[in-house]
Amino acid sequence: MKFFEKLAKIDRRIIFVILAITIISPFLFNLTFKLTPLEESKRAFNFINSLPEGSTVIISIDYDASSMPELQPMLEAVLRHIFSRNLRVILLGHWAAGVPLGQQALEKIASEYGKVYGEDFVVLGYRPGLQAVIINMGKNIHATFDNVDYEGTPLSKLPMMSNIKTYEDVACVFGFEAGNVGEMWIQFANARYGVKVLLGCTGVVAPDLFQYRQSGQLVAIVSGLRGAADYERLAKHEAFASYGMTAQTFAHVLIVAFIIIGNIGYIFTQSKKRRSS
Amino acid sequence: MKREIPMIITFVSGMAIIIALFVPHPPFGRVEETFNNWYIIISGFTMILGLNSLLGHNLDKVKRKAEGWPYSLTLILSFFITLIWGIVSTIRTGHIFASTSTFRNYYYTYVFVPLQSTMFALLAFFIASAAYRAFRARTVNATLLLVTASIIMLTQVPKGETVMAPVLGVAALLAVWKLMSEFESAASWTAGLPYLLLSIAIVAVYLPIVEVLRTQTTAVNDWIMNVLQMGAKRGIWLGIALGGIAMGLRIIFGIEKSYLT
Amino acid sequence: MTIFEKQGGIMGLFPFIFALIVGLTGPRNVKVLDKPNDDGSAVIIEWDSASVTPAVKMISIYKIPEEMWGHGSIKVVDLLSRNTFRYVDTQVKPGKRYYYYVRFWGEGDYIDSKIVGPVVPKAEWFHKERLPMLVVLLIYGGLLAYFLKRIRKGEEVYIRPIAGLQAIDDAVGRSTEMGQPVLFILGLGYINDIATLAALSILQRVAKKTAEYESELIVPCFDPVVMTAAQEMVRSGCFEAGRPDLYNQKKVFFLTNDQFGYAAGVDGIMMRERPGAIFLMGLFFAESLILAETGHSVGAIQISGTTSITQLPFFIAATDYTLIGEEMYAASAYLSKDLHQLSTIKAEDMMKGIILATITIGVVLETILTLLGKPIPNYIKQFLEGGLWK
Repeated sequence: MKFFEKLAKIDRRIIFVILAITIISPFLFNLTFKLTPLEESKRAFNFINSLPEGSTVIISIDYDASSMPELQPMLEAVLRHIFSRNLRVILLGHWAAGVPLGQQALEKIASEYGKVYGEDFVVLGYRPGLQAVIINMGKNIHATFDNVDYEGTPLSKLPMMSNIKTYEDVACVFGFEAGNVGEMWIQFANARYGVKVLLGCTGVVAPDLFQYRQSGQLVAIVSGLRGAADYERLAKHEAFASYGMTAQTFAHVLIVAFIIIGNIGYIFTQSKKRRSS
Repeated sequence: MKREIPMIITFVSGMAIIIALFVPHPPFGRVEETFNNWYIIISGFTMILGLNSLLGHNLDKVKRKAEGWPYSLTLILSFFITLIWGIVSTIRTGHIFASTSTFRNYYYTYVFVPLQSTMFALLAFFIASAAYRAFRARTVNATLLLVTASIIMLTQVPKGETVMAPVLGVAALLAVWKLMSEFESAASWTAGLPYLLLSIAIVAVYLPIVEVLRTQTTAVNDWIMNVLQMGAKRGIWLGIALGGIAMGLRIIFGIEKSYLT
Repeated sequence: MTIFEKQGGIMGLFPFIFALIVGLTGPRNVKVLDKPNDDGSAVIIEWDSASVTPAVKMISIYKIPEEMWGHGSIKVVDLLSRNTFRYVDTQVKPGKRYYYYVRFWGEGDYIDSKIVGPVVPKAEWFHKERLPMLVVLLIYGGLLAYFLKRIRKGEEVYIRPIAGLQAIDDAVGRSTEMGQPVLFILGLGYINDIATLAALSILQRVAKKTAEYESELIVPCFDPVVMTAAQEMVRSGCFEAGRPDLYNQKKVFFLTNDQFGYAAGVDGIMMRERPGAIFLMGLFFAESLILAETGHSVGAIQISGTTSITQLPFFIAATDYTLIGEEMYAASAYLSKDLHQLSTIKAEDMMKGIILATITIGVVLETILTLLGKPIPNYIKQFLEGGLWK
């Protein structure tokens, strides 16, 4: 019975080591699994696909380095899709520490597609205020960002921005969320101004947003690393997220295995206690 | 008057916001935005208070050589390195995150981002240890929780359905074992009968359930997420929303005075 | 002014005729209306989507304020997307008259619509779409007043026991016996979050208890404004316990307003200080499990409470007691046993009952009508969507 008692009380450090090995292995051996994209990811992909050439998408970076592993691959997959469709991008963000990540991804993907700053994409950067920024953008995007981009270049000098004044001039907002800013986009941008909102979010945040999907206030939710991998698959450019899903599969199976092991130990220990009493 | 004045201010501000929600006509419609802007300005200044607290607290520890003072020293040094490097980068390149900024290309990319990612990565390990420790079939509710969590974990990932059969098989075996123990220790046949029937039911439905989970993975996942958990969440949200309104009204009308000293 | 006059006579008609030849047709059914439920700073311009043929390359909107009539117009916007059939002009002043016309551009040519108007943006005194919200608020307010009145008449109020709140005293006592400090984590909320306000009121009670037991209380804060409020709460708790000398401002301090920096800092405090009791109250996000698991690893008794639904499962799994959502909001009333505050909880429960009954009736009605194949009366739906005036 001591064996079963030990099963019920495995030292968490052993769990950590085994989990670490399990997660690292797929990356070492380049393992990937084929996956069937979820409906939500397909919905987001199809919506972006349906936008006419030349349409502008506002991308909001509302995450930082901690959520980077889930959202950065998603952002890159979405940017690749957007640029392959010859759509244009305005990048801004509500997490000051996350906007540079978005910028890095945008510059990298834009150079892959030969896109030009000011004509095909613009970075507006970060402004404090969150709700105030989202509301004011519905009145005047230029004034909200003091009429300059993140480096101080007047927006009037950027060809792309000459016809973009409010949400009416953009096709949609695609927010990348690790917190609750997504709900602000829905409450203020969609509810007040009617702009279509899509959200890519971490797995933990996604359940909070399903209700908005069901009520039609959100076009689609791309959720977690799985959503990122789905989008990569749909965009036919498998990258980090696809490898990451393999690691996630192994990790999930391991966690379920540990749960079962713990319950085996628990049930046998409880039976023994009951018999002895 | 020491208590009355804050209560009057609370009442007037609270009512102004509520009125602004329903009355778009100026000046009411702009009240929320104006108050928000005031809050942003004030919170900027309170950051000075925060910094004073942070640096004062840690400088004090370093001075007294209190336990853990090297960590405090590290914090103070990191604070000033970040501040000075950021200012210098901004002066040189015009923007702290400009593409040529050393702050962005070195400090942010190779220090800040890995540190933040590491903290988030800890979650994976803690989820494993928390799941191992907490997901025990102590009660019916706990059993439902662990079964649902396991199904979601396996249906959320590619190829997760391939291990559904063995995982659920072991879970079914454990459930039957536990139920049969309960049946054995029941006072009489009639008291133990439900456990026996449940054990038989688990054996009977095992194969069909596994087949459904294996072939309808996405549908099961979507149903649990969009129907089951959404229903439960909405119930909790309703309570939270009503509780929030009650708390807000208590504060506005001065029934709740705990914020007053 | 007709298009003929605007375009300058026969010669001015030439681009118009050329446009017709190449298949460019003008905007049809152009309408302007005051944006409803606003402060009079917006006007909606709409046109028929079927009039936007493939020959249309760009759409421009022009505005003629009353004082400019006969002297030209102001270009409002050039829209590159042909899929737009509606534009909201937010550069208008309430009470002024405006006229508009829409121009469709083809390849080097254009056609204008008739000038439409005048439209006078008006500031509304009531946001009609929010009527359902007002009705609910009035019902709720009425219930609050009703139960307050009943309480004042001497009626008893029963609130079910909340394990997490009952365990506060035990937790602080346990910590005192072990000679360890109490750690209170207020989460990542700001002062305008109700959950933070609820957590602050619990903090005051915990501070009073720790002062009574002469135990140490540590409160690392995420936000400086919350820090100042927390300092006041702890100070007032110590005063209420009759031990103002035990208040130490340095123990209620600002840590960082970075999410995982805060988690790392608090984890460090837990590992070094080894608190006997940890309270996790407020708004939490992804760092919740990191905090709860570290707290478990140091052997502390943990009482958590949050309105962040996504974090509740982590707290339930990793902490000893959890206050779920509204239980946090009820904490202040529960702990103070103030009858006036308890009456608001009764009102809340009654309101919940009304909402549940409404949902049930609605679901049953809709099910029955759908099964019978009858049309569902949508005046209720209209009311809920604020469309009674549409």
